[in-house]
Amino acid sequence: MELSLKNISVALSGEEILDSVSLTVDDGAFISLLGASGCGKSTLLKTIAGIIAPSKGSVFLNGVCADHLPPHKRGTVIVFQDLRLFPHMTVAENIAFPMKMRGAAREEYVRTTTELLEKVQLQGFERRRVREMSGGQLQRVALARALAANPNVLLLDEPFSSLDENLRQDMRQLVQRLQKDYKITTILVTHDRQEALSMSDKIALMMDGRILQYDTPENIYDTSVSRTVADFFESAPYIEGVVRDGIFKCEIAEFVVDKPDGIYQAVLRSGAIYIDEKGPIRDFYVSEIQYRGEDYKITLKEESSNLQLETYISSPCQFNVGDMVCIGLNVSRVLLFSSN
Amino acid sequence: MVSNVDKRKSKILNIVAYGIVFFIVVPLLVLSFWSFAGRWPWPGLFPVGFTMRGMEELFSKSANMFSVVTSSVLLSLTVAVLATVIGTMTARALVFYDFKGKELVSFGTILPIIIPGTAFAMGVHVVFIYLGLADTFIGVVLVHLIYALPYTVNIMMDVTAMTGDNLEIQGQVLGIPPFRSFYHITLPLIMPGVISSVSMAYIISFSQYFITLMIGGGKVKTLSVVMVPFIQSGDRTIASSYALLFVLSTFVVFILLELVIKRFTARLNGI
Amino acid sequence: MRPYLLLAPLILLGILFLLGVGNALIQSLGYIPAFGMTDLTLEYYKQVFSNPTLIASVKVSLVIAVVSSVLAAIFGVLLCAALVMNGYVRDRIVQAIKIPILIPHTIVALFMIMFLSQNGLLARILFHMGLITAQDGFPMLLYDTNHIGIILAYLWKEIPFVAYFVLALMTSINSTLGEAAENLGASGIRSFFHITLPLCMPAVNKALLIIFAFSFGAYELPFLLGATIPKALPVQAYVEYIHPDLRHRAYAMAMNGVMLLITLGISGMYYLLSRKTERMNGEQRG
Repeated sequence: MELSLKNISVALSGEEILDSVSLTVDDGAFISLLGASGCGKSTLLKTIAGIIAPSKGSVFLNGVCADHLPPHKRGTVIVFQDLRLFPHMTVAENIAFPMKMRGAAREEYVRTTTELLEKVQLQGFERRRVREMSGGQLQRVALARALAANPNVLLLDEPFSSLDENLRQDMRQLVQRLQKDYKITTILVTHDRQEALSMSDKIALMMDGRILQYDTPENIYDTSVSRTVADFFESAPYIEGVVRDGIFKCEIAEFVVDKPDGIYQAVLRSGAIYIDEKGPIRDFYVSEIQYRGEDYKITLKEESSNLQLETYISSPCQFNVGDMVCIGLNVSRVLLFSSN
Repeated sequence: MVSNVDKRKSKILNIVAYGIVFFIVVPLLVLSFWSFAGRWPWPGLFPVGFTMRGMEELFSKSANMFSVVTSSVLLSLTVAVLATVIGTMTARALVFYDFKGKELVSFGTILPIIIPGTAFAMGVHVVFIYLGLADTFIGVVLVHLIYALPYTVNIMMDVTAMTGDNLEIQGQVLGIPPFRSFYHITLPLIMPGVISSVSMAYIISFSQYFITLMIGGGKVKTLSVVMVPFIQSGDRTIASSYALLFVLSTFVVFILLELVIKRFTARLNGI
Repeated sequence: MRPYLLLAPLILLGILFLLGVGNALIQSLGYIPAFGMTDLTLEYYKQVFSNPTLIASVKVSLVIAVVSSVLAAIFGVLLCAALVMNGYVRDRIVQAIKIPILIPHTIVALFMIMFLSQNGLLARILFHMGLITAQDGFPMLLYDTNHIGIILAYLWKEIPFVAYFVLALMTSINSTLGEAAENLGASGIRSFFHITLPLCMPAVNKALLIIFAFSFGAYELPFLLGATIPKALPVQAYVEYIHPDLRHRAYAMAMNGVMLLITLGISGMYYLLSRKTERMNGEQRG
């Protein structure tokens, strides 16, 4: 089902949490709401689900305004961060609950429960009590229960944040597989940029109650609309420079760009620079080497200024702290933002 | 959080909530009104004139009213403070330690709520006569304590469990002796619990009628003991005046208690 | 050693409490050396159960306790649900709910006298509405064997008590699991009855036990508002206790023993039940 938000604003006890948020999620798409904690992403989720009423704006499901629908009639099902499994019910009863509530026949919900447990790889756990299960298992039960509610839109509120790294990978794969199988429109709330980049069809980056950019992972990373967005994915140093007649000029380099004249900031992410004997940029020395297992992080400093760059090189590392190096520039990966 | 559910307030539930509040508040208003009611013949809805008879009864005729109120308040304050201290000690034992008989003790703390008051009162009366505690202030304090403790232990256990002893242990690690760690670190943190514990114990003690009469034998006069015969007698003006005095003195004591405790807390960690 | 030191004052008071209760029990078996009674016998219990007045007293106390505590639990939960569902938890209404907890039973008795006696305010209002023509037209609610005055007085204290006792738990369950149930397609009412209420039952049962035991064994309200015959157990026990014939004291104690057995029996049942549900649910909250 297509979900669309039009100018949603939410104020809770006088404080503005969401400020005119608009967003359209295509039918069957998987998108992420990415942002630091407190940016309003969980509030947005609850607003979609009808738990919080927006002070302005509307929620549309398949083009139909859903504002008058109470939470239990929306079919916008949340998997809460704290899971909220019912402690007085067995695993099977938890999963059957939404089906019972919509009046499904006994045979139907028994059969569907078994199916769903298979889907989340928990066959044979029907009669277990919630407290007898591990964190990863509980997560699967919560997911199965949400699917049992036949969601129009599945809303995942930081579902993996409480798991170990290995378990998290498994759960991500499971969620993606199920989402593809059932073709459910899904919104994942997360603060983990890797998670958002690797899982989503599109990412909506939120900050201070607004969506700053809504685009595919590649686009949002490579063509961020602002330095704030770019910094969220990778905070990197920048240099001020000037574009004149299609050429960007700054202290350390100059190259051809397709930008109108003006003052710009060039963001130099680690991927945009590399150490190269023939590189055009000189006067940098190695100030710090940090071993990270799969590679080394090299910090480079310019002698005369305070400019500091970072890049990664694979093992083995042939540099020592203090070595003078030349730097090459991967011009296509330098992000330019107008200073005005 | 303000949720959508709040916005769709159920009318029926609203009627329930406001209806019950109405039934709570109206008797209190009528009570204040009736304290000053003069003659009030059937079937008038309002009394014929007002009188200070109730107030005179309280303040002039029985000149010892002032001493009854002070001794009654003093008694209940003693109970409230002791019950809170013992409640805090018990709560710490039950929350922070594992020991033999722990379940028995925590079950035992609720026994006074469950066991009928008359059984205990009549049984302990003889014991107190034998110990020389009958008809004494201390005797009454002891039995009131027994009835206040189930509540104070419960309140202090909640707040003790919530506060934990991490910060207190941090204090000890920083070289502060255990009791001073408790006094300067934990005590300010559990103050909200202390306030509700003291208030609860106070009101339990201040309200006791039967057991005070049994153990105090009429020698230990509390406001409750003095008030009940008037309620029984049917002189509603005087009974209402006593009840009003009871309610107002409770509120005054509560306000003062909170002030004193807040002051104390502020001084505890002031520089 | 440390925990026992902390527990010392509580244990001393506990011993005093058990001494009192134990002494009542021993006296109920006819052992009162001070009056020259030293034979242990169940005679006084037999007397209690054969004397119609005393049997009536047992019934009176049971009726008052059962009716008032069950009604208080039902309406208390309803009030609590009203506060939680309509979002009054941080409202001034909750302050009003606390008032009856501060008002002693003796003053509540006075309220009932002011409103419910045959020349009370309610009767006067009915008279002015033309529903009754004289004081006699108003039903006897106080000092009568229907015990309505006593039960209403208990309800005035106990409905808010139950609501307040359950409020914190219901608020937290409703805002997490209740919200989840609605999100999964349960209407507000079904979410309440399937999720919130079952999970609040431990607290409701505990409140029910407390108010049952209290209204069964308390002296004040039946003393001030009860009928002359039959009297509630605690009142009748006190009558026997101060009887000039000192041997009646054993009857008084036997009646206390009966009350004790009934309340302990019910607490025992409660304990077993709560153990069972605890085993089933684990922690109260998941």
